[in-house]
Formats: sequence, C-alpha cells, structure tokens
Amino acid sequence: MSYLFDTNEGARYLMMGNDAIVRGALEANVNVASAYPGTPSSEIIENLSKASLKRNIYVEWSVNEKVALEVAFAASIAGLRSICAMKQNGVNVASDFLLHVALSGTRGGIVLLHCDDPGALSSINEGESRHFARMIELPLLEPGDFQEALEMTKWAFDLSEELRSIIIMRSVTRLSHASGNVTLGRLGEPEGKALFKFETIPGDPDSGPVITMPVPPHHTILQNKLKKAVAIFEKSPFNTYTGPEKPELLIITCSACNLYSREAVHLLGAGNRVGILKIGTTWPLPPKLITRNLARTDKVLFVEEVLPFLEENVKVIAAETAAEVGIKKFYGKNDGTMLTINEMNPDIVVDAIKKILSIEYTSMDDGYAKRAKEHLAALAPVRDLTFCPGCPHRASFWNLHNALELDNRRGFVCGDIGCYTLGFLPCGFSTMKTSHSMGSGIGIASGFGKLTQFGMDQPILAVCGDSTFFHAAIPALINAIHNKSDVIFVLLDNSGTAMTGFQPHPGTPLDAMGKDLPIIDPADVCRSLGASVEYTDPFNTEETQKKLLALMEEKGARVLIMKQMCALSPEKKGKKMFEVRVDQDICRGDACGCSRLCTRIFRCPGLVWDHERQAAVIDEVICAGCGVCAGICPSGAIKKTEAAR
Amino acid sequence: MKAGNLIHDPYNAIITGVGGQGNVMASRILGNIMSRKGYYVTIGETFGVSQRGGSVMSHLRISKRSVWSPQIPRGQAHIVVALEPTEAIRVIAAYGNSTVRVISNTRPIHPVGVIAGELKYPSLEEIRIALEELAADISFLDATDEALKLGQPILGNVIMMGAVAGTGVLPFDAEDFRNVITETMSKDKVEVNMKAFKKGEEIIRHAPAR
Amino acid sequence: MKVLGSRELLADVLAKELCIGCGACVSLCPYFKSYNGKTAMLFPCTQEQGRCFAYCPKVEVDLDEVSRTIFGAPYSIEPLGRASSVTMSRAGAKAPGNNYQSGGTVTALMTYALAAKHCDAAILTGREGLNAVPAIVTSPDEVKNYSLSKYTSAPTLAAFNQAVDEGFSRIGVVATPCQVLALAQMRSNPMDTKDYSDSTSLVVGLFCTWSLDYRAFRKLVAGKVDINEIKKFDIPPPPAEVMEIYTGSGTIEIPLAEVRATVPNSCDYCFDMTSEFADVSVGVVEGRSGMNTLIVRTERGRAIVDGAVKAGYLVIEDMPAENLASLKTAAGNKKKRALKKAMGEGIINTSDSCRALFRLEKNTLAGI
Repeated sequence: MSYLFDTNEGARYLMMGNDAIVRGALEANVNVASAYPGTPSSEIIENLSKASLKRNIYVEWSVNEKVALEVAFAASIAGLRSICAMKQNGVNVASDFLLHVALSGTRGGIVLLHCDDPGALSSINEGESRHFARMIELPLLEPGDFQEALEMTKWAFDLSEELRSIIIMRSVTRLSHASGNVTLGRLGEPEGKALFKFETIPGDPDSGPVITMPVPPHHTILQNKLKKAVAIFEKSPFNTYTGPEKPELLIITCSACNLYSREAVHLLGAGNRVGILKIGTTWPLPPKLITRNLARTDKVLFVEEVLPFLEENVKVIAAETAAEVGIKKFYGKNDGTMLTINEMNPDIVVDAIKKILSIEYTSMDDGYAKRAKEHLAALAPVRDLTFCPGCPHRASFWNLHNALELDNRRGFVCGDIGCYTLGFLPCGFSTMKTSHSMGSGIGIASGFGKLTQFGMDQPILAVCGDSTFFHAAIPALINAIHNKSDVIFVLLDNSGTAMTGFQPHPGTPLDAMGKDLPIIDPADVCRSLGASVEYTDPFNTEETQKKLLALMEEKGARVLIMKQMCALSPEKKGKKMFEVRVDQDICRGDACGCSRLCTRIFRCPGLVWDHERQAAVIDEVICAGCGVCAGICPSGAIKKTEAAR
Repeated sequence: MKAGNLIHDPYNAIITGVGGQGNVMASRILGNIMSRKGYYVTIGETFGVSQRGGSVMSHLRISKRSVWSPQIPRGQAHIVVALEPTEAIRVIAAYGNSTVRVISNTRPIHPVGVIAGELKYPSLEEIRIALEELAADISFLDATDEALKLGQPILGNVIMMGAVAGTGVLPFDAEDFRNVITETMSKDKVEVNMKAFKKGEEIIRHAPAR
Repeated sequence: MKVLGSRELLADVLAKELCIGCGACVSLCPYFKSYNGKTAMLFPCTQEQGRCFAYCPKVEVDLDEVSRTIFGAPYSIEPLGRASSVTMSRAGAKAPGNNYQSGGTVTALMTYALAAKHCDAAILTGREGLNAVPAIVTSPDEVKNYSLSKYTSAPTLAAFNQAVDEGFSRIGVVATPCQVLALAQMRSNPMDTKDYSDSTSLVVGLFCTWSLDYRAFRKLVAGKVDINEIKKFDIPPPPAEVMEIYTGSGTIEIPLAEVRATVPNSCDYCFDMTSEFADVSVGVVEGRSGMNTLIVRTERGRAIVDGAVKAGYLVIEDMPAENLASLKTAAGNKKKRALKKAMGEGIINTSDSCRALFRLEKNTLAGI
C-alpha cells in the first residue's frame, strides 16, 4: 500500500521529507497543488499528482513560480485548500505576488512550501528565502524532522484558515531529500466546493472583492494577524526543549540542524550539560517562550542554515528582556563560531560545542586521518560535473563553441539555469560566459546586443532550455526583438524539464495528472514576435555549425532551435541509437593530427582512454549510443552502426 | 515485528558510487527492508546536479532507538558499499575508521578529468592496498561484470546489496529483499533482481576473507 | 629549422595578427580551421612540435634552409629570387577560353599540366562572392573556371593538405607568395617524417603585393555593389589609384587608398612579391594587358613550360629590358620595406631562446 492512500492511521513508512509533506497535505485534504519544478522541491507535486485522480486534486506544473502561487491563491479565495511548492529562488520569482497576497489575505488554507538548498547541492545560488517571511510579514514554519514535516504541513492549513493568511513553510535539501520513519495520521474523504464570493465590501474577509487597497487598514490587519500568530506560536507543540532544567549551554536550532544538534550532543555525551531548544515557528518568534528558555543559562549557541535568521531575531528578544534574563554570551554566525555559508552537519556542531564547553573529542584518529587524506589525494581523482553520456547539450555546446571559434570575432554565449549551466565547464567547452537566474541569458544578451554604439562587434548568443523559455525567457526575448537587439537566441529544446526529472511544461502534451493538453510551440511564439526561426538537430554537427555561422552574419534577433531529446528521458533512456566502437588500429591517439580530440576535448564519459593500447575505447556500460563522437573523430576511427531495436 | 539488537546502534552504512549507478535506489530498498523489520531508518542522499557525473553518496542510519541525522558524522561509518572503487577511498577519507568494513565493486568509472588525461586513475591493486590499510575488512566484487552476464549493468547495485546481506552485518536476507521489490517493481523485473541479489550473497560467501 | 607546437603558433602568429590564412595548418588536424579567409584554432592542442608550426610561413622560417630544399642553394640576394629566365607569356591556341585576368598563362599552364598528366590534381582558388575558396581540380576542362584574380586571402593550402590526405601524389598548386613559402617548408620535411615524398609536381607562384581581409573588404563594398553580381576585379596601372569591380550592370571604382585599408597587417612583413620558391612565377606586365610576366625558376618548371609551349598551350615572348628593370625595382622595394619593418621590431634572426619571424644569412640580409 502506498503512503498516499493508506487510511490505516498509525501505519509507519520510511518516507522522504517531501513525501511526508505530501502526506501532510493529503491528510489536510488539499484540493489544489501547483508548482514550478526545482530541486529539492519537485517530488512534492510529482507525488501529489499520483494521488490527483483518487482524491480529486487539481495538480498543475505552472509556467513559473509566480503563476503557480497565483493559481494556488485562486483556489484559496474560492474556499479551497491549496499548496504551492518551489525551490528557494522560486520565492524571489513569486515574491511580488506574495507581497500583495499578504495584504489582501486568504480564505481556504494555503501553504507556500519552499525548499532551500544550503550548500547549493543542486543549485547555482545559496539563497535564504526565510527572510521573505520577515520582509513580507508572513508566518514561517520550519519542520525539525520527518514526522514534523507531515504534521506541520497538515497544521499549516488550519493555521492559514485561522489567520486568514498564507503560511510559508520552509524545508531544506537534507529534509526534503532525506528519508526517515513517519507515522501516518488520519486520511479523510476528499471534500471541497469552489465558489468565489465578492458581493460585499472590499476588506470583508469572507465575501468581499480581494484587493489590497486601501493599503493602511490592510497593513494593520496583516500585522494583527502576526500578533495572533505569536500568541498561537507561544503554545505550539513544534517548539520543544530537550535537556536539563539548567543546562550549561542552550542550543537554539531549527530544521535539519535540529537533527545535527541532537547527534552532536549524543556524540559528545553532553546530554546532561547541553539543552536543545528546537523552534518550529521561526517567524514571528514567540517572545515568552524564547525568554523562558533564555533564562535557563547564560551561554547560547545558534545552529541554523544559512544566514543568522533565528540568531538575529532571538537577539532582539534577548536585548528587550535583558533585565529579566540577564546578559548572554551568544555563539553563532555573528561571532564566527559558525560560517554564514554552506550547509551544516553534525561535525560542525560537535566542534562548536567542544570549544564552548572544553570537551575532549576526536572524530578521527590523527594518524588515520593523515593516511586517509594521503590516499584520497593520490587515488581518488576528482569527479568534475559533466553532461551525461548522450546528452544533447554536449553536442549543442560543441557546435556553439566551434562556430564561435570559426567565426573568430570573440563571440560568446549567455546562459542561465538548467543542465546547460554546465556549459561554462570544460564539458561544455567553456562556451557559456554568463549564467544567472532563469531566463537571464537572453535578457543579458538583449543588453549586450545594444552595445554596438559603443563599438561592441562580438557576436552575442543566448541559450535557454525549453522549460526556461516559458518560465522567464519570453519577456526578455520580446525585449530583444522590440529593441532591435543583435542577438541569436538558441533554444536548447530537449523536450521536458530534464534537470528536475521531466516535468511537463507548456511545450509538452500532458499535464501533471497525465491528461492531454494543447502544446504551445516555442517556434510559433518566436515567429509571432517577429523573429526568424530555424531548426537544427545538434547531433547533426555539420549542419548545426553551418546554420550558426550563417546566423552570425545576420543582424537583429534571430532564433535557432536545437532540438534533441534528453538522454535520460523516459523515451530514450537505456535505448541506444547506435552501437559505437573504436577501431584502435586507425585511432591516431596522441599523435600530431589528433592529440586525443575525443577524450581530451570532447570528453564524453562513455569514451575513455585505453592506456595500454594508447587509443580511445568505448565503455559499453556507459555509452548511450548517440553516435556524435563518430562524427568528430578526425581519422574516422570511431565507427557507429545503427543499433538493433 | 520486533527488531533485534544491531551490532552497532545506530548502524551507519554508506552506499557510494557515481551518478547513474542506482545508488539512490539501492539505499531506499535497503532502508525499506530495515524499516519493515521495525527499525528506525534515516537516509541522507545527495542527488540533483551531482547526478551529472559526480560522486553520489547515501548515508543510512539504522537504529532500534530513533531517527538520526541524515548525515553520518565524521569517522563513524560501519560499512561502506562502493559501487565504484575509488569512491570507497573518497568516503573512507571522511567517514572511515580502523574498524570499518568495505565492500567494493571492481569496475572503474573514469572521471572526465581522467578521460581528458589531466588526472590519473589508480590500479585496482593500488586501491586494494590503500583500503587494506584503512579498513578492517575489504571485499572486492566484479559486480558490474556479473550484472552484464544478467543482461543489465545497473543490477550491479543489487548484487552489492546481496553481498551486504551475505556478510551478515545487518539482519536481512533475500526474502526481505523480495518483499520490498515486489511492491516497488513491475513483476517481470523481480526474478532478475532476485538472481542478482543471490549472486551477490554467493560471491561474498566465497570471497577470500582477509 | 626550429619546430614548435600550436601554443607557440597561437602566441606568435594568431595573437599578433600575423596569420594570413594561407591554410598551411588547416586540414592536418581537427584544431585549425579556415573560415571567411581567416584561420581559427578551435581548441588547444598539446603537441610540443606540430606540422602547423613547421609549415607556417609567418614564424621561424629559415629562408636559407628552404632555399636549399628547392634550389640546392641558400637564399638569393636578387630582388626576383632565383630565376633561370624572365620572359613574357600568354595563353596559346590550345588553352581554354579567353576570360583571363591578363595573359591567361596560369590557366594555360595548369590545363596543360593536368591534360599531359604532369599533375594528378590541381589546387586552384575560386571565388564565392568576395570569398576566395580553394578547390581540388582533376579535370583539365575545369581549370578555366578558376581563372581571374581574387584579391582576398585564401586558405588554398587547406585544399592542398586535403588532396595529400586523399592520396594525390603529383599535385599542381597555384599559390600566392606566402602560400608558396609554406609549401616550400612542407617540402623540406621539417618533421623528419620517415618515407617522406614531395607530393607537389608543379608550384605556380603568383605575383602579389598584398591581399585583402575578407570581412573588412566586404564591409567596404557592402552597399556599393551586389556581391553576387561581381564578374571581375582589377587594379589598372598607376596613376589610376582605383580598384575596378566589374558587374553585370557596369563597373564600379573604389579608391585604392580605401581598399588598402583592408589589407591585413601580415602583408607588411611579406618580403616576397614574385613567389620566389615556386617552380614558375606569373604576374602582369605593366602596360601590356594581354601578357604575363613568366619567371621560370626550377628544372621541373622549365620542363612543363617547354611542354606547354610545344603543345600549343603557351606562347612566350622576350621581356623588354625596361619592364624587367621596373619589376626588379618593385620587388626589391617590397623586400626592403618588409625586412626593415621586421628588423625594426627585432623579429629577424633572433637569439635561440626567442622565436623569429624568419632567419637568413646575415650577409644576405645586409646585402638586401
């Protein structure tokens, strides 16, 4: 029985944090779920979509996070319960709308769930979205383990309805993508009827038009909601203290850091000296609870990711109550005990406690550590990120790089977020020269393309993926076309949101629940905007480079769609197009005339160097059979034959 | 089901490999097996960008008492299961100790730096010598080669799981494995997975002990 | 001869904009490619010594060594280089067509060389718009399609390298002085390749005072003429000071000063006006539009010229003394100008630790 449908209250499952969130939403009878995919948040909507039919949930992969939140909000003011999931930088995208939602208020329970990625394990930024809660004045919850992820999600809907406010809930990679045992709660029958009432006056929370004006009274209402939230949070079971009545050191922590703190105290055997105050309601903080716990001791250590959010907010309370609780010695981010970058782990907490309490502890014998480090340096070669074997992006960047070098005018590529971000690395032949937020490649290129009046004569290219195209590239492309910017926009169309696991987008034919949807063709969009549009298959390297070179001779905004499906796509994965082998007698290897072009430069993981024979060789297990390498070998030593199907 | 005592509690296992080797799946199956037997299980995984050719590591904590941190503390691994041999060394450097047990696949996956000629990939003998120095017990398996004989190189991860069962460090066997996979896999895949699991059990039982 | 690799080639030639795009380094490996008259390096290469560097006419050219390969004697102090005869010539009755730049000597010679099987392939240069595009030609009837001057620099030797790769072994090449120099370096087997054999059977050198950068030239003529309509370019003798562009709908004149502004820097260092390392060199004759100057330099050059005359492809006349004198003055001036510039920059006969543009015997240099 899947945890999605198990009605057996008390049943125990091993669940990912994201699954626990899903179950929590199901137990809260969520009606609508929307999101734009982003690691580590994507599984939430993915798994809710599996329950969509049985539990009558509308699940949508929206075009971007702002629209996703708008979709979820519509459900809320129609009286339904909704959840909207995104990764940390998605909150930035949605934040403009969020600012207004805070003022307008909500009706049915609505939860904005964002998964931050401390350490940027699968991100190109280390954004801390918790600050939006304080900035926009919204309640923020942070589950401290897997069970809480379920229970807190469920509760967040009730809280939202009680406060008439959207609730922000923050997870992190080490909760969302980690797994632990979770005990299920009650799963009721699905219910919910949608009706948007607007007949009374603006400001009526139940049946008025939902607008933010006049602003001052709405702002007052919002701040009163936060006061109410504080009162509720003072009694919340998600704020817990474990440890001696009067510890030597009080750890204040939240989220996954709760687990690290517990582990560290256990490792040091310091359970009788250290207490842990785990906060689940991180904004607005309940001051009485904080004061009560601050009074336990005069040494306080903050353990959180990434910036000192909890730390600074607690310090405000500590300053205001100093007469009552005394002067504290604080350890955390601000005094340098903890770093303000990267993720935490038990060892960092161990080191901090060791230092503060002068405890002797060695995690690894010095001699052992030294030998292990030596072996690591000598025997474990670093694994740089690379495109997968058979990845269309390797071929695309090969074509882009070669065309730009041939063209010989120092042309360059602007990019953004997706697997193709790796285009700045050797696996993409270091072709990409700028990479920022979704859609910013074409936006930056649009700006570059207007610098001709200052003497810029470099060809300017932008790349983005098909999903990113719909997410945020279209306005920038319109900007480039309208302003007659000299740019080539290359759409790396691999038929899905590949990086996060093939979620559909407006260019694909199915919705999150597997039902048919009309396709919006990016080519049609570009043409309707007035751009010339050409297609090419990046695996056809000769033709693609030719087209790129020809486009570089032209002016204005030009669009080239490089279309080839992702090698990991369900349609392609495990199916080789070609059997590829190297004729080692023909391979020129290291000699003048080749210099190991395939392995040294093209460096597909499926094509390795045979040291004994001093020639290239295909690794059958890894090769995806795309056959592109056969076309780049200068001596024709790489042979491809169509694979039997 | 009443969970028996473990040789360490929490028992810390690390399954390591390279993106695409089925590391995450192996850790989830093993986690589910132990969870069903009544243990608390915590799994920490790294995937996402790291899937693109990078090292992938899963931390499993198995305990009778509670959930633990999804990251094993430094020097605290009890067993390291390496789907790729140099990854065993990488993991040991952070999580190893003189009593750790290592089970490693022999099949190398060359990092791009090695393919490009910028870095050197060690010989299996060099890896063996290093691991023998750092670990209490090591076993090498030709898991990928055996998996290829079964027609699917990805089954190397299941062979490695069979090997873990064969060592007896954790209380589970082929039937426990079958119970979990019959729920998560399509029927036609179960038998070949069982074969792979049993192959791993068999190899480890006949492997020369150090 | 000092032979290094692509790293040095990149630093000394490409980075200093000395590359003339001759194509000597192209079609040998996947790294050097030719596009729009320029040579591009796609990726770094790790060879310590490479053919790219060895063949390049713009770095470490040992003129005495090259001269010994071609003539068995060191570099000559003469303004026209080593020559056995200087005459006038024009296409004979057997030569094809009449669409020549001047006397049709090159077309006549190459047609004959292919027809008489002196050559198994000819490397000629055609024109696509303003772009000079080389071709491997095997049929004598096709040679006439490649007549007329191109003016923009061409990667002719890329086609030569390709022809060698395809197995042609008696190749006739029509080349500019820089290309002829690169060919001469190839023929001196600088990499000491085992079983090396010279794949050329005839090198016809063209007179050249400069070539044009394709992109700059295109920018210059853009808007002035429909590039696809161009039939022929010509620069009439002084005092005209214009370039004439013939099109289907009339002739356009562009001031020569504007045209000269599109000459790549590299040509300023070129000391060779008459393709001194060719078998035969061909150019115009001032004041005689239907005739060519023909310099025969080598024995195999002599044999083919004699054969062409005998077979009726070529007609030879004596060269008036005053024409010869002014040709020598012009060639000498170009030589002096280039050597002076290179000497001024200290890139001739540098010490061993430093790479030179070219090297030659000190006395010869002083003599010039």
